[in-house]
Amino acid sequence: MMPMANFPPSDGSTEPHEPRDDAARPGSGVEQSDLELVRRVQRGERGAFDLLVLRYQHKVVKLVARLLRDPTEAEDVAQEAFVKAYRALGSFRGDSAFYTWLYRIAVNTARNTMASRQRRPLDYEADLSESEQSAVESRMRHVDTPEAAALSEEIHSTVNSAIEALPEDLRTAIILREVEGLSYEEIAEAMDCPVGTVRSRIFRAREAIDRSLKPLLD
Amino acid sequence: MTDQIREQMSALLDGELPRGEVDLLVRRMARDAELKRAFGNYVLAGESLRAPGGVMAGKGFAARVSAAIDAEESASPVAEQPAPSSAPSRWRRPLAATAVAASAALAAVLLVRPDSGDSQQFAERSGAPATVPVVTLPVGGASPTPAQNQRLAGYLVTHGQYATPIGRRAAWSNALATDPGIARVTYEPAEAR
Repeated sequence: MMPMANFPPSDGSTEPHEPRDDAARPGSGVEQSDLELVRRVQRGERGAFDLLVLRYQHKVVKLVARLLRDPTEAEDVAQEAFVKAYRALGSFRGDSAFYTWLYRIAVNTARNTMASRQRRPLDYEADLSESEQSAVESRMRHVDTPEAAALSEEIHSTVNSAIEALPEDLRTAIILREVEGLSYEEIAEAMDCPVGTVRSRIFRAREAIDRSLKPLLD
Repeated sequence: MTDQIREQMSALLDGELPRGEVDLLVRRMARDAELKRAFGNYVLAGESLRAPGGVMAGKGFAARVSAAIDAEESASPVAEQPAPSSAPSRWRRPLAATAVAASAALAAVLLVRPDSGDSQQFAERSGAPATVPVVTLPVGGASPTPAQNQRLAGYLVTHGQYATPIGRRAAWSNALATDPGIARVTYEPAEAR
C-alpha cells in the first residue's frame, strides 16, 4: 500500500501536489455550512460556535504558531483569537468566507501579541509560497516539544494505518474527500456510484479512523 | 439511530448536510460530549491526512475556548451572545447603567470580580499559571462621577475581552495609559492560593 503522502493525484499527473483545502473554495459546501453555523450563533445557539472551533482549531493553532515562531504560546493566542471571533461574530455579514475572516482575526491577534513583547513579527503575507511554508513547518517541527511532536507523529501513524486497513471503496472515498477536496457529487461521478453511497462510505471510513484514534487520545 | 446521527455529522463536516437537518443535529451535538469528541476526531483525521506532523491544537483546546467564553460571559453579567451590529452598544448600555447606579465600592467589586475565582478556574483549565490578580483602589476621595463610572464599565468590557494573563496585562496597561482620570487603579498579580 502506498503511503498517503504519495497517493497518486486524481488528474493523472505524476508531480507531487498540495492537498486541496476545501475551506478555501469559494461557494463550497463547507463555506455554506460555516455560514449556516454562524447564523445560528448569531441567533444565540452557542453550540454552533463550538462546532466552528472544532472545525478550525488545528488550522488556527498552526497559523498562529508560524507567526509567533513559538508553538508553546500558539494555543493561548489561538484561544484568544477564537474568543475575539465569538465576540465579533455579530458583525460578520458573510461578505467573505468565515475562515478568511477568522484567519484575519488570528493574524491580528498574533501580531498584537508580538508587538506587546516588542519583538518583530514575522512579515506574513496572506499566502506563503510553498517553499516558505514547508520551510516554516520544517523549522516548527524542530521547536515542537518532544511530547507534542511524538503525539503528532503517532496520530499520523494511527490515521495512516486505519486508512490502509480500509476496504478499497471506503479508502478511495475518504482520500478523494479529505486529500483531493472533491464534493460528494464529484466523488460520486469519479467512483460511478450514487451520492448517498459516497456519503455512507466517507462516514464509515471516518468511524474506522475514530475507533483507532479514540484509545490514543482518551 | 446513533449511526444515523454520526453520519449526519460526517456530512455536516463536509458541508453536505441538507439545511433542514442541520438544526436538530447542531442542537444534539451541543449537549452530547461524545458526538463532539467524534466530530473532533473526524476533523483531526482530515488534518492529519492533508498535513502530517507539525503543530496542532492539543486535546481539550475546544473545551478551553468554550470555558474562556463562559468565564467572560459570567464576568460580565449582562453580556449576551453575539447579535447583529448593535452588540457593542447593547453591552455598554446596560453595563453603564449598572455602573451609574452602583456605589464606588460596587464598582471596585466589578473590577475585582473578573480576577477572582473565574480566572482561577480558567487558569486551571487552560494550564496557565494560577495567579489571582488583585486590584487596589485609592482610599478616600469623592464618589466617582457618572462619566467615571461609564469609563469603569468600559474598562470592565475591555478587561473581560482578554482571558489570558498576557492579554489582561496589556488591556490594563492600555486602559490606565489612556485615561489618567482613573490612573490610581493599580493591578498586581498575587501569589496563587
